[in-house]
Amino acid sequence: MDKIARIDMGATGGPKISYEEVGEYSGLGGRALTSLLIAKEVHPLCHPLGAENKLVFAPGMLSGTTGSMTGRLSVGCKSPLTGTIKESNAGGQAAQVLARIGYAAVILEGKPAGDNLYKIIINKDGITIEVDNSLKLLDNYPLVAKLRGQYGDKVAYITIGSAGERQLLAASIACTDPELRPTRHCGRGGVGAVMGAKRVKAIILDDAGMKTRAPKDPEKFRDANRKFVEGLRKHPVTGEGLPAYGTNVLTNVLNEAGGYPTRNFKSGVFEGGAKLSGEAQAELEIKRGGTATHGCHRGCVIQCSGIFNDKDGNYVTKQPEYETVWSHGGHCGIDDLDTVARLDYMDDNIGVDTIEMGVTIGVAMDAGIIEFGDKEGAIRLMGEVGNGTPLGRVLGCGAEITGKVFGVEKVPVVKGQALPAYDPRPIQGIGVTYATTTMGADHTAGYAIATNILKVGGDVDPLKTEGQVELSRNLQIATAAIDSTGMCLFIAFAIMDQPETFQAMLDMLGAFYGIEMTGDDVVALGKKVLSAERDFNARAGFTKHHDRLPRFFYTDPIAPHNQVFSVPDEEMDQLFNW
Amino acid sequence: MNTLTPATLQLELVAGQLSAFYPLLQQGVVVGCMVGCRLGELLSDQWGISPDYVSKRVTTIFLNSRAIDDVNTALIGPDAVIALSGAMPGLVGATMRRGGYYAAMRGAMTYNDESVATSFREATVRVKLFNLLLGELGPGFLQRGILLSGTELVAFFRNQGIEFRHGCRAARLNGLAIDPALLTEDADLARIKSVRLTVECRDAV
Ligand code: SF4
Repeated sequence: MDKIARIDMGATGGPKISYEEVGEYSGLGGRALTSLLIAKEVHPLCHPLGAENKLVFAPGMLSGTTGSMTGRLSVGCKSPLTGTIKESNAGGQAAQVLARIGYAAVILEGKPAGDNLYKIIINKDGITIEVDNSLKLLDNYPLVAKLRGQYGDKVAYITIGSAGERQLLAASIACTDPELRPTRHCGRGGVGAVMGAKRVKAIILDDAGMKTRAPKDPEKFRDANRKFVEGLRKHPVTGEGLPAYGTNVLTNVLNEAGGYPTRNFKSGVFEGGAKLSGEAQAELEIKRGGTATHGCHRGCVIQCSGIFNDKDGNYVTKQPEYETVWSHGGHCGIDDLDTVARLDYMDDNIGVDTIEMGVTIGVAMDAGIIEFGDKEGAIRLMGEVGNGTPLGRVLGCGAEITGKVFGVEKVPVVKGQALPAYDPRPIQGIGVTYATTTMGADHTAGYAIATNILKVGGDVDPLKTEGQVELSRNLQIATAAIDSTGMCLFIAFAIMDQPETFQAMLDMLGAFYGIEMTGDDVVALGKKVLSAERDFNARAGFTKHHDRLPRFFYTDPIAPHNQVFSVPDEEMDQLFNW
Repeated sequence: MNTLTPATLQLELVAGQLSAFYPLLQQGVVVGCMVGCRLGELLSDQWGISPDYVSKRVTTIFLNSRAIDDVNTALIGPDAVIALSGAMPGLVGATMRRGGYYAAMRGAMTYNDESVATSFREATVRVKLFNLLLGELGPGFLQRGILLSGTELVAFFRNQGIEFRHGCRAARLNGLAIDPALLTEDADLARIKSVRLTVECRDAV
């Protein structure tokens, strides 16, 4: 990972490639690289779908090594959905392969005139770009199938479906999993629309002839990786719960807690929750010859994913995640896993964010376009998105736009991005994160729960609301750092509970780069990333008034706890005060 | 039949079929117990779940939809709803965790009501089991017995596939052996208001 490639898609005479040393971005990866680069190089007031925006693909700091859990690919740009800086990441094979080929980042710049569609091939010999208009408006599954015919199965594919090509604001970028299915998506923030604006349909990554990246201290790295894996295997969440049930194990618990947003955030309990649970899902998957345990990339030891088959044993989709099951399920009043799986497949195929689309359909239900609980109706609306009808284009631009077009007052978004699957009224600390993150409402911005080890921000008084602000700050710092390593955030519990596992992760980084890595370094990295992102957003016109939840969370209590969101604005405004 | 004393149904299942009861256990089953005590006492003294197991495996507990931090202070009243879960992923998992570092994030959803005024007496509570605890605690609850209405029971049996029916070795209604195959059709069973179902599964965990 010692070079950066820039591809000027708008160069006269066709796309132009240039290569450079990593320079100031040396030793960085993932979100640290994408965010620092975007903050420095992209005009904050540019139109996200215009020539001035850049789209950065960056593997994590440890991607392409033999280290486990290191397969996250970060994609950064100015978001067309939120108008803020954006980092969106996904698993799959792409990060590992791109890192092994030797790129710290590939940057798409400019915008071509005309409507030619391009594919980019990256291998050990360099980068080539070809026009391929035969790929036009193909969705992800048929697109990858067609590309496999030409480039085979020993590569990784990064693609956009028809939604990305149409520049819909909920469009995602798909990465293929080990079975070459386009199931892993950089979903949030409309990054697929930016790729569509650059007219790039597919990136083919071929690491033939390349080796895994070699650590500076191989023995120490091996040892640290072994301890890290041991730690993940022995922890009940990463060693048992996630492999058995995936993230959807949260459905029952959120529902029981009254924090499961139901029918567009009207209640915190869904009567059909148990039918959607991870427990029910795993049972169904196994019964139908799928699996409830599957890794999204080679080298994942947690394996939180799975394969969902229909009743005849035919593949439908990968195991839908908790947020997907919620957005297409309880949020829409739908209690049927087969419908959710079908919608998940459509999301992946068309290439849209499952959270944004599910929330949008719920908002459309609130507008009366279809009834809550209408399974066929939900599938029909998704079909409109895939077909690019006028209604489909509105829906494909997300919850905020759909709410505006159809006159819905209560639309659950922050900075234009749909809230994920946790109601911020009973779980107020999550609301702080939703409101203040640099990315728009995003649960993963406060997911890396190792801050008790990092000791960021001192002691927290659990009885005060400031405690929630402090915790959120610490979580956002820790997450920004972990997002830079390329590690999957699901390592969080093991590194929180087991100091030796956290140390093993630091030792992996240290042994790889030949440095001593401490918790303080992790904190410093996280703060640096967040500061750059905040700075970009401020220059793009965002103020503290954008760091708020929609008003109805402050005014409408939600059953069963009958609470409203009550963290004072002044406290939230202190969040980035370091 | 005395309407206050439930009828009894004893089932004997072959290994592997117990998971048929998991959906019921997730949604919650009614069990008889002594209320007016602390949750910790209910779990250990009445249900025989060791405090060590509770502290290591039952990391998330809800009492009437409120997260519990201390099983030794939470008081159980009649009709309480108790949900038991293993460790959960993510920030919400950490937030809900008993006595966890992130408990502050859940604010007023935390249980802090000490005022359940009730004497130590016989009553029923609803128990929900989630995730890993289904397999670990489910057999114990089924062995001790759960209370269902006759219609619920018949609906449950109708929902089961052929494998379950084959795996049903024996059944006794009020002590008398009956053909398990008839359980889906038994109109008398459907009319019974309350049935105490006990399930034996010799090869279960
Ligand atoms: S834990 Fe899940 S999301 Fe993370 S790398 Fe493994 S399969 Fe992918």
